[in-house]
Formats: sequence, C-alpha cells, structure tokens
Amino acid sequence: MEYALFYAEGDEPIAYVPAADDIGDWVDDLESRGASEYGERLRPDQDATTVRVRDGQLLVTDGPFTESKESIGGFDIIDVADLDEAIEIASRHPAAAFGRVEVRPFMQWPGAEPEARVVPAGFRERVASGRRYLMFVVAERQGRRAVIGDDGGEPTPTEDPMDDDPQAWVDEMDGRGTRLFGDVLRGPEDATFVSRRAGEVLVSDGPFAEAKEWIAGFDVLEVQGLAEAIEVASKHPMARGGTLELRPLWPFDVHDDHVARHEREAAERGIRVEPAAAEVLDEVGAGR
Amino acid sequence: MTDGAPTPEGRAEVLAPAVAAALRSAFETEWSRVVATLIRTTGDWDVAEEATSGAFERAATTWPRDGVPANPGAWLTTAARNLALDRLRRRGVETDKVREWIAMEALEGRTGGPPDPADVAIARDEPAWEDRLRLVFTCTHPALPMESRVALTLRTVGGLETSEIARAFFVPESTMAQRLVRAKRKIRNAGIPYRVPPPEALADRLDGVLAVLYLVSNEGYVASSGDRLQRVHLAVEAIRLTRLVVDLLPDAHEPHALLALMLLQHARAAARVDAGGELVPLEEQRREQWDRALIAEGLALLGPIPTSERGPYRVQAEIQAVHVSARTPDETDWAAIVRRYDELAGLMRGASPFVELARAIAIGMADGADHGLAALAALESSGRLAGYHLLPAAQADLLRRSGRADAAAARYRETIPLAPTAPERRFLERRLAEVEASAAPGPDR
Repeated sequence: MEYALFYAEGDEPIAYVPAADDIGDWVDDLESRGASEYGERLRPDQDATTVRVRDGQLLVTDGPFTESKESIGGFDIIDVADLDEAIEIASRHPAAAFGRVEVRPFMQWPGAEPEARVVPAGFRERVASGRRYLMFVVAERQGRRAVIGDDGGEPTPTEDPMDDDPQAWVDEMDGRGTRLFGDVLRGPEDATFVSRRAGEVLVSDGPFAEAKEWIAGFDVLEVQGLAEAIEVASKHPMARGGTLELRPLWPFDVHDDHVARHEREAAERGIRVEPAAAEVLDEVGAGR
Repeated sequence: MTDGAPTPEGRAEVLAPAVAAALRSAFETEWSRVVATLIRTTGDWDVAEEATSGAFERAATTWPRDGVPANPGAWLTTAARNLALDRLRRRGVETDKVREWIAMEALEGRTGGPPDPADVAIARDEPAWEDRLRLVFTCTHPALPMESRVALTLRTVGGLETSEIARAFFVPESTMAQRLVRAKRKIRNAGIPYRVPPPEALADRLDGVLAVLYLVSNEGYVASSGDRLQRVHLAVEAIRLTRLVVDLLPDAHEPHALLALMLLQHARAAARVDAGGELVPLEEQRREQWDRALIAEGLALLGPIPTSERGPYRVQAEIQAVHVSARTPDETDWAAIVRRYDELAGLMRGASPFVELARAIAIGMADGADHGLAALAALESSGRLAGYHLLPAAQADLLRRSGRADAAAARYRETIPLAPTAPERRFLERRLAEVEASAAPGPDR
C-alpha cells in the first residue's frame, strides 16, 4: 500500500539539531527494504507561490496557501505492507523527533493495474530537463469544487461535474512533458500523525478532521521556471474551487555533514529565491 | 450498515424460555467470535457485521422450529458465512480475496446450502481467540480517535447496538452511526492491519488496548443506560480479552492489575442485584454470594511489585481488594481506600472529577459524613460533574447516614431524574421513600 509522508513542524516543535540528523541512515534503511519510491525536500515557505482562479481572474500570491505554521518541509512516497509499517518508518524520520510526520494514503482507483505505482518506474534515474516544482492541490471545505474522490469530505454539489475532472489537464500536461507524475490522496480523516518525543512514539488521528482546507493531492512538474509553473497551475480545475501551491524542490545530499549543510544554507533562509509573483504575471498572461 | 443484531431481551418475550436462553447465551459468547472470523475471511467489516446480525435473526426464527443446534457457535458461523457470501456475490464484489474464498467454499462443497455438520468441526478448529485479539487490536488502533475506538470495540467485539452505544456516550444515534462508519472507513482506507502487533510493537499498543477494555468492563459493571444494572456479558467479555492480553504479555504489570480489578468487581455481580434485578448496595449485599474463586484469583494477581510499577489499574484493583477482604461492611478499611484514591489522583496527574467523587465518599465513610459532604460540596461548586447522578446521590447518602432526612430527601429528588438505568432509579426512589417516612411525623409523635 502506498502512502505519502509529509514533514512539518507540528504544533509543538522542538529545535532542529543538525548534529542529530540521521536522515542518511533512514533513507538507507528505506532503500534496503525496497519501500522507497521518491522523496524530496522543499524550499522553505518564502519560496512558495499560491495560485487561484476566481471569477476568471488569476490570483497569484507569494507564500504558502495557509497562514498556519504547518508548512510542509518535505515528503516521501513509500510503498509498504500497511499503516503499521508506514507508522514505524515515519516514527524514525528525523522530522518525527522535532516536528511531526503526516501519513496519508493515496486514493486507490478501481481498475488500476496492480503493479502501477504513484511514482513511475525508473523515474529517479531520469535527468531533469527543467526546474522541478511540487504542486500541492489544496481543497477547501466550503469550496464549490472541494470534492475529489469518493469520500474526501462533505459532498458539495458542483455546477458542472466535468469541470472537476482533472483528466483533461493531466492529458495536456503529460503531453507537454510538464507533469512528471501525481496522484490524489485520501482525505484528512484518513490521515495519521506520527511524532517521537523522549523516545516515545506518539500516534494520533490528527487534528485536521474538521480542517477548512487540506492537501487533496499533488503533482510533480518540470518547467522552465515559475512563470510556466503558474501557467500550468492556473489551468488545473482545482485552481477555480481550491488552491494550488507551487514549491520548488530543494535537493540535498542525505549523507552530507548536516551541521555543515545547515550552516551553508543559513544564508538562504528567509530570502525568496523565486521571482516575486508580480514579476512573472505578465509572462503568464502572455503564455495563456 | 444496519443494526439488525437481535437483542436477546427483545426476542425473549415471544420465544420459549429454553430457546430464548440459548439465543441469549449464543449472543453473549459467539457474537464477537463470528464477527472476528468473518472480518478475517471477507476483509469487509460491514458485511461481517450485517451477516452476523442476519445469522442471529435466522437463529431466532429457525431454532424455535427446529430446536437449538448442538453447537450453536458453529451453526451461527456457517449461517453468517453463507449470508456474507450471498451479499458479496450480489454486490458483485470481485476482490481477489473474495474470489479466493468463493473458490475455496465451492471446492469444499459448502456454498449456499444449509449449515453442514462438517462445519462444526471446522469452526471449532479455528483459533477463535486469535481472531478476537486481532479484532481488539484493530478496533483500538491509535490512528483512530479514542471515542471511535471505544465505540467500535463495543459494537464489533461487544455486539452492542449503535443506539445503545449512542445512549452510553450521550450522543444522537446518527452521530454514533457516523462515527462507526468513519472508523471502519479509516481502517480500510488508511490500511490499518487486521492483526495482533508484532512483539516489538506490542508494549506500545498495550495501553490503548487496556484503556478500551477498561471502558468495556465498566459498561458491563454499571450499564450506562437500560433496564438492567449490569451487562454481565460485557464484563465477561472484557475479562476474557484481558486474560488473553495477560497471557500475551506475562511480564507486564498493568494487564494483571486490570484483570484483578475486573475479577474483583465481577465477583460481586450476583450479589449486586436481587432476584428481581433490583440494585443491592454494597453494605446490604449478601457477602456469601460473592464469588470466592474469582476473589481468590483476583487477589492472587496482586502480588508485590515495585512502587514505580504501580499504575492506575493496580491502585483501583487494590481498592476493590479492600472491599472484598472485609467480612462485614463495618470491617471495611475506609482509611486505606482514601489513601489509594490519593495515590490514584497523583498517578492520573490532574485529578479526574470521578476519582474526586469516589474519594469524597470514602472520606465520608472514614472520617464522618460532614468531611465527605464538605469534599462533595467543593466538587459540586466546581461544576465539573453537573448533571451526573452520582454526585447528588452521594450527598443524599451521607445526609441520610447522618440523620438529616429532609436534606437527604431533597438530594434524592434531584438525583432520581438523572439516574441512567431503571434499577438505579428505583433504588433511589426506595431510599427517598425511606427518608420521607423517617422525616414525616409518625402517628405516635
């Protein structure tokens, strides 16, 4: 069974200690048991770009979709036996020790090929030919098009059911070579939160059952830059009923000396490396 | 999901007493075993529950006509399996698991037909407890909200109807039904495994299991609604499941303590109600009716352990031990009980109002009614037990003991409408009548 693990600070974070970061061992273990599909770190909040379309107007803002501090700093996609194995793996991730790990199952599609996986085979060997972004598809409880899948929340009637179907978008972006892969997650009521404090593993059903907005799915995009990413996001049907958040990937060597890495990266923290949304809007307008 | 599980009480009115007793007994002993087995074989919780309900309904019509089968459990298992199979086929569910199962059933020539005597042996060979333990660990999985764990355990393991569980937790039935649906959906969607955790994970999961078993046991000890004071089958079920946990983790202290607590409470079950099902308070119970074997077993589980290992179940078991060790009510060492409640409040970090209530009653018995009433008054003014019947009932009792009949009567009138079960209400009404009689000016005054 496949799960997405999202890493965030959580409600009661404790300070990150680079010297205690054993992410390399964690990744090695995941690889050795054949559970790892793909994982990346994400550039911090200030590099997020949020895309919405309301009444035909493209709205782009700098920063993440939510005002809360629950911004996601990275993710992994794993393929394991069941939730207990996912919890066990999540509990040993360094983020579990200072923040929390959200374990989210993927939607299981009827009629899917049994060998099909969220991450296409051979993906990790593929050389990037552009800039890669993770695009979060964020659903809103009150949104007109909030419902994806069979039980993602309260059934909200839509004006035109075909509008909700992202398949046309998927076909277009796959055809352009822009969308590398992506999938839909089960709703927040099927999420499990895992953290580790003082050696004890804490498991809970998560505080987001009544959340107003939640990550309903994601796609990994490969584009020329932020302008194209915004253009791609704005065409997604959920741009109209929900929100798309674009996050540049932030690759690093998991076996690095994390104290040195942390010091090296300190200069980058708090500084937006993405162009401001306003700067690229003209470009996006031209591309539409 | 339906709630078609026949309540033995409901059926009893129209059936011959022997058949009604057999049905009731089968429900109490076989429900969770049949559900657990069907969940394992079908992988579908709703189908398992519906088919098990259906099997009991079928038994209620078949047994009066054809007689009670020699092995009711095997009969019910087979009937439920056939119903589950029909339902899955009608739905056109074509999972690998079901296909495999159907193939297996067809191969063995047991599809569709009436219960086959061969199944008797097969059903008996199944490691029934293994299935039930799987069910308990799955229902108590920490990825489920606590309220759902308890509800699911009562519904699936205990066989309680959704409406009963809803009453027990003071929520509308539709809310409880939704909670159960969501819990089962999460088990399926999130991939919660149907199994006993591996040894290295067992200890972590244990606290959660014990918490749920304790709540099930409590519901058995004092029902939170209905016509009967106790739900003995729930207490028995909780004891059985706790025994299994003790066997599974022989070195853990708290399962032993919880089992001791349950045994010492259950030992008094027969004495706690009279022949008519009316409540008999502790000091009026015929102590020779207490089950000496259960008491001996419970006390034997409470061997010396290091202070650091003493947990909440251990302390509560010791409170029960003080009660059952007294040959007469007057011999009860109430001061020892007060000390245990102090310890319990410390262990639970931030005293629960229910512990404070029990402690106040014990103070009233140990140091005199006025001390108890003062503690109860503090609790009352905190407002934390507003609407809970045992607070005014405790006040009424201490007032009655100290001869303040009018004040006691006022408290009894306050508590009667709050009483959750009929026997408790009638007991409080009898007490009210007694204090009213003692307060009223007699003819020779």
